[in-house]
Amino acid sequence: MFAVPVIFMVLFFALPLALTYVWSFFERTMFWMKPGFTLFSYHNFFTSSRLENFLASMGHSSISVVVAFVLGFPIAVFIRRSIPQVAQHRVILLFILPFAVSEIIRIFALRPFLQRNGLVNGVLLDLGVISEPITAILYTPTGVIIGEVVSFLPFIVFAGFLAMEAVPKYVFEICQDLGASPFRVFVDVILPLAAPGIFAGSVFIFVNGLGVALLPNILGGPGAVNAGLIATQAITALDFPLAMAVSAIMMTTLLGLLYLGHKLFDLTKILSPMS
Amino acid sequence: MQDDYSSIWGYRLKWLYTLLIVVTLMAPVFYVMYISFNENGFGARHYEFTFDWYVVIFSDLLLLESFANTLVLAAITVVTVVPMGLIAAKHYKITRYPVAVVSLMLSPLFVPADILGSALLVFFKNLNKAFTALGETLGVSWFDTWFDLGYFSAIVGLIIYTLPYVFVVILITMARYKEQQTEAARSCGATAWQAFWHIEFPQIRAGIFSACSFTVILTFNEYTRTSLLKGGYDTFTGVLVSQMLNEGMSEQSYAMSSMVSYIAIGVIGSIILLTLVRAEQLERVARAKAEPVGA
Repeated sequence: MFAVPVIFMVLFFALPLALTYVWSFFERTMFWMKPGFTLFSYHNFFTSSRLENFLASMGHSSISVVVAFVLGFPIAVFIRRSIPQVAQHRVILLFILPFAVSEIIRIFALRPFLQRNGLVNGVLLDLGVISEPITAILYTPTGVIIGEVVSFLPFIVFAGFLAMEAVPKYVFEICQDLGASPFRVFVDVILPLAAPGIFAGSVFIFVNGLGVALLPNILGGPGAVNAGLIATQAITALDFPLAMAVSAIMMTTLLGLLYLGHKLFDLTKILSPMS
Repeated sequence: MQDDYSSIWGYRLKWLYTLLIVVTLMAPVFYVMYISFNENGFGARHYEFTFDWYVVIFSDLLLLESFANTLVLAAITVVTVVPMGLIAAKHYKITRYPVAVVSLMLSPLFVPADILGSALLVFFKNLNKAFTALGETLGVSWFDTWFDLGYFSAIVGLIIYTLPYVFVVILITMARYKEQQTEAARSCGATAWQAFWHIEFPQIRAGIFSACSFTVILTFNEYTRTSLLKGGYDTFTGVLVSQMLNEGMSEQSYAMSSMVSYIAIGVIGSIILLTLVRAEQLERVARAKAEPVGA
């Protein structure tokens, strides 16, 4: 009986994702695909504007990771360092609230929020900070990056919180007694110890930034595309091998990053709080 | 609640920053709620408070039907995924390969919805074709609809999406449970089921109920996998997205978005409050036990 969830996940999660590699080499037919071995889908992907779009969305996702880390990780450090242990989980619960609201609604809600006559422009105009509404946010890469940060920032707090389990509180006291500056403490102590959790949180944001189609679809305007959108567009166009090639490229990116992270930081360390 | 080394103002500033981030993350959602009560809709010069847009959505038959569909999906997902999460958490505790089990259970978190949805869509279409061909070979038509895109495939997608969250919530609750209690119950002659139901379950009940609530919320929030694997726009978020993409953000869309958000905030807010109250009670008991008798 204990094997049921494992069998289910292997059958309906791992197997379909592994098979995307096989299907990506199939030949396209009018409405479906037929077994064969062709590199046409990969050729189609790598020699069209799709590759350019994919690389651009990688760039946006990388910026989102950095912004989310800069904004969110200090919160995880603050909670672990300054909040008594019994209350730490209660503070973390605060970040469950934005996460509980549908991602779709949070992404859509950014439209009226950032629009020309939306709340942000209204407040800035009323305060006299700007004289003309800012129009360079929505339907631009900046809008997509803001969407990614707003959608995924709670995860860097959760991952950072787990990561900071590896940094005992007394370490901060020792560093302070020895006269280390906050910057030195961060670079020489926190980063090396909390690296597995930081890396896992960053990969999560990066991969989801690449794969959640609604982000460029809603906030990026015409021409904004990521891997998720390329895959769903290919399915709408009944080009299933291309959709599978995009999925395979995404899976390779994800597995490559996780392998690299595991080699560098031993990602199993972040699982210790669950033991 | 501050440590000995930081200044009180630094501590307050950090709290302020934390709350500011939470409020900023929630601000667009609150703004949508605010617009949903405006008779004149988004961008109007005059704000006139009204419940009219909510009246409109509650009298929309298509929407009520989509609400019922989502509720059915949520109910089936809860009764399937929560026992699975519980079994997986118990498996994790006893297996010789905990890293493999936990990696498999948590890995769906790292696969974007559109990618997993596309892979599962093609997987189910292939299964359907294979089983239909098998049926034709055997001269029977039983298998023809087994793997059709519909409720079954949508629920498989929802289980994969919600299982990591259910697994983590139950695992965290189980971390406080001492396995020796089960061993003691078994030594006293209890069956495995009796030991679980009478000893372990009461102690992990909160985690199980939280997992159920999370699953309902996540099912109501989910759109991508369900739309790819079920087709049509007949779930709550499906109708919402179709309206938003086809007609733009109408006043009705604001009211619908707000409705989904009220449900999510209400359920999760209640869990957070209950958790806080429970933690407070436990702390009070711990403090009382720690005090010397007669003090």
